Amino acid sequence: MAAPDAAAPPPPTTLRKPRPHPRLDQAKRSWYFFRRNTLALIGLAILVILASVAAYAATTPTPWYKMNLYCGADYGPLNKAQSGYPYNFSTANYSGCSLVCTYEVAPPGNSASFCGGLWYKTPTDIAQSEDFAGMVPPTVSFKSGLSTGPLPLGALSIASIDSPTFYNLFSGLLRGSDWSLMFSVGIVGIGAFIGLIVGAVAGFFGGVVDDVLMRLVDIFLSIPVILFVVVVVIVTTATVSDLGRLGPANTKLLLLVLAFALVWWPFYARLVRGQVLVTREQKYIEAARASGASKARILVRHIIPNSVYPIFVQFSLDVGTIPLLIGGLAYLGFGPELFPNQGYFPEWGNLAQLGVGQITSILTTCTDPSGCIIPWWQLFFPGLFLFLFAISVNLLSDGLRDAFDPRLRR
Amino acid sequence: MRMVTYIARRLLLVLPTLLGVITITFILFQALPIQDQLDSHFGNPPKNHPCAFIGSCPCDQDNQASVRGNACTCYGSNVTVTKSTICQDGLYRIYIHKLGLDQPIWGQWAGFTWRALTFQWGTVENKSYIATSQSFSWLKDVPVTQAIGWMLPYTLELAALSLFFILVIAIPVGNLAAVNRNRPIDQVARVISFSGFAIPAFLLGSLAITGVVLLLLPSTGFYVHSPWCPPGEPIYNEFQGSWPLATKSTTTDCYTGLTFLQAAKNDGYPSWLVNGYASKPTGFPTVDALLNGQPWIGVDTIIRMTLPALVIAFGSVAGILRFVRNSMLEVMNLDFVRTARAKGVPEKVVTKKHAGRNSLNVTITVLGLTFAFFIGGFPIIEEVFQLYGVGRMLAQAVVTPLSYAIIFGSTILFTYIVVAANLIVDVLYAYLDPRVRLG
Repeated sequence: MAAPDAAAPPPPTTLRKPRPHPRLDQAKRSWYFFRRNTLALIGLAILVILASVAAYAATTPTPWYKMNLYCGADYGPLNKAQSGYPYNFSTANYSGCSLVCTYEVAPPGNSASFCGGLWYKTPTDIAQSEDFAGMVPPTVSFKSGLSTGPLPLGALSIASIDSPTFYNLFSGLLRGSDWSLMFSVGIVGIGAFIGLIVGAVAGFFGGVVDDVLMRLVDIFLSIPVILFVVVVVIVTTATVSDLGRLGPANTKLLLLVLAFALVWWPFYARLVRGQVLVTREQKYIEAARASGASKARILVRHIIPNSVYPIFVQFSLDVGTIPLLIGGLAYLGFGPELFPNQGYFPEWGNLAQLGVGQITSILTTCTDPSGCIIPWWQLFFPGLFLFLFAISVNLLSDGLRDAFDPRLRR
Repeated sequence: MRMVTYIARRLLLVLPTLLGVITITFILFQALPIQDQLDSHFGNPPKNHPCAFIGSCPCDQDNQASVRGNACTCYGSNVTVTKSTICQDGLYRIYIHKLGLDQPIWGQWAGFTWRALTFQWGTVENKSYIATSQSFSWLKDVPVTQAIGWMLPYTLELAALSLFFILVIAIPVGNLAAVNRNRPIDQVARVISFSGFAIPAFLLGSLAITGVVLLLLPSTGFYVHSPWCPPGEPIYNEFQGSWPLATKSTTTDCYTGLTFLQAAKNDGYPSWLVNGYASKPTGFPTVDALLNGQPWIGVDTIIRMTLPALVIAFGSVAGILRFVRNSMLEVMNLDFVRTARAKGVPEKVVTKKHAGRNSLNVTITVLGLTFAFFIGGFPIIEEVFQLYGVGRMLAQAVVTPLSYAIIFGSTILFTYIVVAANLIVDVLYAYLDPRVRLG
């Protein structure tokens, strides 16, 4: 027998670790770089908190009642435990005033005139109650379908001076978070989808197709966003006021979302086209073409997946911008209404806009020489929500870009 | 390619964009009731005709029973047109014909485009909110182009001031952030720039006003008057209008503290200030102040513009700062920078002269890309600060009853502005970076 080959390698003492999958490896590296970015982590944390608040608010109906007294420019919550804040109703004559009772979920077994929990049952009860003993009572009215919220911050709730409606700012902000988030993701999602397709087609096919599509993009990009949305909303509401079963309020919301998506896609189209122009010159595309792949297959399987990364960054940036723009639209009177036809639709933008309106009206109409109270919280807290959301999304997207772009993470 | 050729070629590209925007506007316009289309062109109601349109006029054709169904009252006469009324005077058709609405759709498009290109943007409707509101009643029955001519210079001056702030803030801070990458300065710049993204302009504007009110506030309560103003003058009212209030007993402006109304005539205003909304003869407030020999009024206006301009700039700085920083980072890794360092050029000179050179390019590019956003913020800002510019005019025109003339006029105007700005940016860019026009 032949002697064992002396040149045979000795059996390996340690097994080499299998090479990680390249994509997995990339994800790990990205996660490593992302983790080192404190600001991005903070952004992620804020976003998670906001999202859980939104999820909680969307699933938790809480019955809650509140009464508000309106006397000229004075208004405020009427509370048994009168805290004297912001207004202390000490006058004995309430004629000309109105007490508005709001509730959201009437407890079972009670009619619509139920308000105030244990205190009152009907308007007459209220007028004859001990609270107004020996006084001229205000007129009493009831409103339904209004704000409730998990936070019973009665002292901070405030009513609009002009209209006998009532909302609780804080519950509104919480309740509004789900819609604010959905608006942003929905609008930017639709826009990004259209933009992705248009941009990919333009960049891949080039030539006349590219020219035509890019001119179209130029056209849409040269109309200011807010202006265009306003015009589209105006014109469409003039023609389509009610889409079948949706109801006027929902139709308006849908039109708003569609109008936004209509102006939002060109940004993505331009972005994707640029990326596709780079991608289509790569060797692997040439290889795919050489191996006989059809144009559609190359586009869908190779080009789009490889050009999609900048979209994510832009997407996360834009998601933070939409609530701000909706706030601006609300300021111009085109946002979602807070009280559409007996309903209640709180949303960060319209709450912020109402806050601005209230502060402005108090600052301009205050004639009390001893000073008026500016409801600063009406401006501050909606602003805080908008700010936190936008800034966390921005920090997050910045971190993502730094983590995913190999050129930037040196 | 020579510069002239480049500009000529670039100008040719403008035409399809303009036509496209006008076409989109036309399509949207088609969705409006014919009544509104007529009103927005002729104002409302057309003058010198006894039976024109109020409400939605039911007559579609002459000498036929109305088919629209709604009753309407003819202007000037007490004839009420009901569903069965025969339209005999044919006025409806006269106006329809005048506006070319009886032509086929291509003819209508051609007419619309022609009017848009030749600045026949219609007349401010009498019935609209803006024409009946207190602060804009002087726009009643005024051609939109003329109204814009009154208001645009102010907006342009405001835009120029905010562009100035953008340049002054974004470039140095962006460069500083890039040089000190990932150090505290960079993080602070990052948070500041993100704040610009994260605060809606109307909120920031209101906060700024409230802040200034608080600063100028005597310690008692919010019945606010500034230290240099007589009691009883809420300072918030001082934020209304581009100019100091007309109804003022003193010659001191309560906002700025400047004395300026020496030549007070015409209810407290100098004669060249037309009721506090526009100045004569050029419309640019500071230029007019200088031309009329009252520079203090110009200074006052600039001070009033500063706060809104800063608010606008704050929003735009956010994006530009990021781009300046990132492009600076990329350039700092290029070979020529390394060469410069190897030659022993001081680091300060490297960052300023070698790498910093391109920040202006980047700023201009990003400004061009985001100009539509920039200019789109003006209606809100001008409304918050109650300034008499085209933006506020638009913000008032979208209050029901709408003024379609102003809405569509400003759509086209804003597009012109954006297109012109992009053109200027491209030409500037080609001038700054020869590769563009050569390539």
